[in-house]
Amino acid sequence: MSWLVVSALLFAIGAYGVLSRRTAILVFLSIELMLNAANLALIAFARQWGSLEAQVVTLFVIAIAAAEVAVGLGLIVAIFRRRETTGVDELRGLRG
Amino acid sequence: MSFAELLAAALLILSALVVVRTSNAVHAALALIANFLVIAAVYVGLEARFVAMTQVIVYAGAIVVLFLFVIMLLSAAQANVGKDLLPGLQIPAILGSVALAGVLVYALGRFSAPANPGVLNGGLPQALGPLLYTPEKWLYALLLVGFLLLVATIAAVVLVEPERIVPEASKPASEEKELVGR
Repeated sequence: MSWLVVSALLFAIGAYGVLSRRTAILVFLSIELMLNAANLALIAFARQWGSLEAQVVTLFVIAIAAAEVAVGLGLIVAIFRRRETTGVDELRGLRG
Repeated sequence: MSFAELLAAALLILSALVVVRTSNAVHAALALIANFLVIAAVYVGLEARFVAMTQVIVYAGAIVVLFLFVIMLLSAAQANVGKDLLPGLQIPAILGSVALAGVLVYALGRFSAPANPGVLNGGLPQALGPLLYTPEKWLYALLLVGFLLLVATIAAVVLVEPERIVPEASKPASEEKELVGR
């Protein structure tokens, strides 16, 4: 029960980071924080329910987060090459 | 909660606040590593030892190091440089995240565990393996996730590939003549 509250607080802190940060890399770091809050909730549920399925889902979340980070950081590097910035406020055009 | 659990929860909240508030991106990534290590310790306490090891190896060992590498590569350590096109976003962001925390705490507070839960066996690999590698359970999902990782690796390589240098043969004829004349 108490770890569920901690995971809710961590998720809200990550959401604050996504909303308030100006650099795309730090927005990504905050997204990782939110994914980990979801993982913590899953593990707490697995403990309280006594079922291992939630732990398996946590492994899948970790793997998908790794794939997301690879693609996202590739995008950030490609955008930086073209625009010399990664500020999410200044990247407003989709034309590239 | 015991004292150790309270300490771990306080460390988690503190390091998460450092991640979202510090102005140095390297410090944010290091605080994120601290957060992940404390979460791994919490996982051990919650009978999820294999997930805890995966957390340390994959998240703290690979993903955050990749973040640090990109921060250094782009010289993007100063996180708040540049013109802020949306000033005054801080207060709405704080209000929104506080509201989100309230809703989530309320929703999770309504959860009630079953009377007689099952057995987790400490969350060891011996307990998780039969779930992951049985076709009736999660085997095909595991294979698909492996394929997803392969696609993501190829996508990352393709995205950061520099623009190709145009070979000599495909240049316009006039330019080529000029080169020969010289």
